[in-house]
Amino acid sequence: MSKEDAKKRTAILKRLREEHKDTVAGAQALLKEQKAIRRQICQAMRDAPKTVPEVAETTGLPANQVLWHITAMKKYDLAVETGMCGEYYLYQLVEEEKK
Amino acid sequence: MTSNNLHVDALVVGGGIAGMQAALDLADQGYRVALVEKEASIGGKMIALSKVFPTLDCCSCITTPKMSAVAHHKNIQLLTYCKVQSINKNGSGFKADVVKKPRYVDETLCTGCRQCEYACPIDLPAAFDLNLGAHRAVRVPFSTAVPQYAVLDIQNCILCGKCETICPVDAIDFTQSPQEFEIEAETIVLASGYELTPTDAKKEYGGGQLPNVVNALVMERLLAPTGPYGHVLRPGDGKEPESIAYVQCAGSRDQSLGVEYCSRVCCMYAIKQAMLLSGALPLADITIYYMDIRTFGKGYEQFYQNAQAMGIEFVKGKVARITEDEDHNPIVRVELIDEGSPVVERTHDLVVLSVGMLPGYNPQTIFGVPVADDGFVTLPSPNISPCVTGQPGIFVTGTAAGPMDIVDSIVLAGSAASEAAAYLQAHRQPELVGDLRVTANEKKERVHA
Ligand SMILES: Cc1cc2nc3c(=O)[nH]c(=O)nc-3n(C[C@H](O)[C@H](O)[C@H](O)COP(=O)(O)OP(=O)(O)OC[C@H]3O[C@@H](n4cnc5c(N)ncnc54)[C@H](O)[C@@H]3O)c2cc1C
Repeated sequence: MSKEDAKKRTAILKRLREEHKDTVAGAQALLKEQKAIRRQICQAMRDAPKTVPEVAETTGLPANQVLWHITAMKKYDLAVETGMCGEYYLYQLVEEEKK
Repeated sequence: MTSNNLHVDALVVGGGIAGMQAALDLADQGYRVALVEKEASIGGKMIALSKVFPTLDCCSCITTPKMSAVAHHKNIQLLTYCKVQSINKNGSGFKADVVKKPRYVDETLCTGCRQCEYACPIDLPAAFDLNLGAHRAVRVPFSTAVPQYAVLDIQNCILCGKCETICPVDAIDFTQSPQEFEIEAETIVLASGYELTPTDAKKEYGGGQLPNVVNALVMERLLAPTGPYGHVLRPGDGKEPESIAYVQCAGSRDQSLGVEYCSRVCCMYAIKQAMLLSGALPLADITIYYMDIRTFGKGYEQFYQNAQAMGIEFVKGKVARITEDEDHNPIVRVELIDEGSPVVERTHDLVVLSVGMLPGYNPQTIFGVPVADDGFVTLPSPNISPCVTGQPGIFVTGTAAGPMDIVDSIVLAGSAASEAAAYLQAHRQPELVGDLRVTANEKKERVHA
C-alpha cells in the first residue's frame, strides 16, 4: 500500500469510527468481555482436555456459555475434540496439542 | 450488478427454493429475471436443513446446485443483500425502487477465501446456526453460500482494520454506503417465504428459557453435517442426549397463539428428524407427543409407518407444560390419551418444539398485495389459480402463499412462472397469442371480479 493510500485508509477508518461511535463502543465492550471469558476457559483447559461441564465447574461460567465459546474456538481452529468421556466430548486447546 | 438501473421481464422477490425455482423456470423460457434477496446469500430456509422428507436426500446436495444454477444463469440477475423499498405502476408494468445494503466488501474482488474472517477478533452469535455457534463480524455467510462473498456487519465491528490488512485482494471497502437503483419489470413473483412461530410463544413450554428446550430448526442444524457442534449435542451443556422428545403443534393449531391453522410440515419434519436421530444416536429413546399425525403427501404415510417400525414412540396427548430438574433435564407433563388419560411427568435430556409457520413478510404496503387474516397472501381463487394474487401482474409462490413443504413449493413455483409467462405474453403480443391471450385475460378478470 502506498503512503497516500495508507493515509486515506486511516482517514476513512477514523471517520467511520466517529460515525459509528456507539456501535463501536458496544462491540469493544463485547470483545473485552469475550476475551476475559476466553482467558478463563483456556486456563481451565490448559493442563488436560476437558468436557463442557468440567470447564463450567472450574470457571463458574454457565455450561451453555462454555459450550458456545468452545464451539466458536473449534470453528476457528483454536480448540479440537479429543474423544469422549461418558456422554460428553473432550476438548483441547490447539496450542496444547501442538506442544 | 449493483448500481445501474435494470429492465427485466420479471422481478422475483425472495431467493428461497420457491423463488429460485420460479426464476429458473422463467429464465429457461428466455425471460430476463431479476431475483432480489434480502439476505447476503440465496437458499432460504432449505439450505439450513439437514435432510429432506420423504426421500432423506441431503438437503445441501440438492439445494446448492440450484443456487449455483440461479447465480450462473445468463437470464438471471441475482441481487442479494437487497430490499425493495417501493413499487410504482409503470405503464403496463412496475418500477421497483431497490436498496442494496453495503457489504463493505468489493464483490468484484472477493474470492471468499475467509482470511478476513479468521483475522477478525470478535465472535458473534451465528444466525445461520440459530446462535448455537459463532461467526465473526466479517464472514462468508455460510460454507455453501451463493454468492461466496464476505459480508461485514458494521454494527458489530470495532473497525480495527485487521480484515482490510490481511485481505490478499484488497476487497474490504469501508467506503461503501447503501446503493439505490431501479428495476423495471412487467410482472412480479412474490416468494418471500415463512418464519417460525417464536420458540417462546408458548410460555408454558419454556422455549427460550430452558436451555434444553429447542425448536425444530435448531435440531436441523444439529443434525446437519455442517452443523455447529458436528454432532447432536444438547445446547445446555454439550451432553449427547439419550432421551429426546418432540412436542407437536407447539406453535400451530392453537387459538391461544392466534395461529389456528395446521402448518402442514411439522409432523413430517418431526418424523424425519426422529429417524435421523435414531441413525445418529442409535441408543437414544425418541418420543413424539402428538394430537394428530398428518402425513398428507405422496409416500408420507409410509414414511410414518417406517418410523414406527424403527421403534420411535408415538404418544397421543397434548403437552400441558415443560419444566426442568436441577440438571436442566426437561420434564414434560402430558396426558396419555391412549392409556386411559393419566397425567404423567416424563424426564428427557432434550425437548424439541415442533413450531409452526408464520408469513415471512407482509407485502401489503409495498406491493399492494392483500393478505388474509392468517397473514399469508390472499388467494382470490385458490382452487383454480393458486398463484394469482389480488394485484394484477403480481403472482405468489411457495410459503408466502401459506404453509407448504418443498415439493409443493417447487410445484407452485412452476405454476407461478407459467402464470407470469402467460401474463407477459398476453401483454406483449395480443395478435399472436390469440385465444391464449383471451384465456389468460379472462381468467384474470374472473379472479379479480
Ligand atoms: C424444521 C423444518 C424442517 C423442514 N423439513 C422439510 C423437509 O424435510 N422436507 C420438506 O419438503 N419441507 C421441509 N420443511 C419446509 C421447507 O422449509 C419449506 O417448504 C421451504 O423452505 C419453503 O421455501 P420458500 O422459498 O417458500 O421460503 P423460504 O425458504 O422462507 O425462502 C424465502 C426467502 O425470501 C427471502 N425474503 C423474505 N422477505 C423478503 C423481502 N421482502 N425481500 C427479499 N427477500 C425476502 C428470505 O430471506 C428467504 O431467503 C421444513 C421446515 C422446517 C421449519
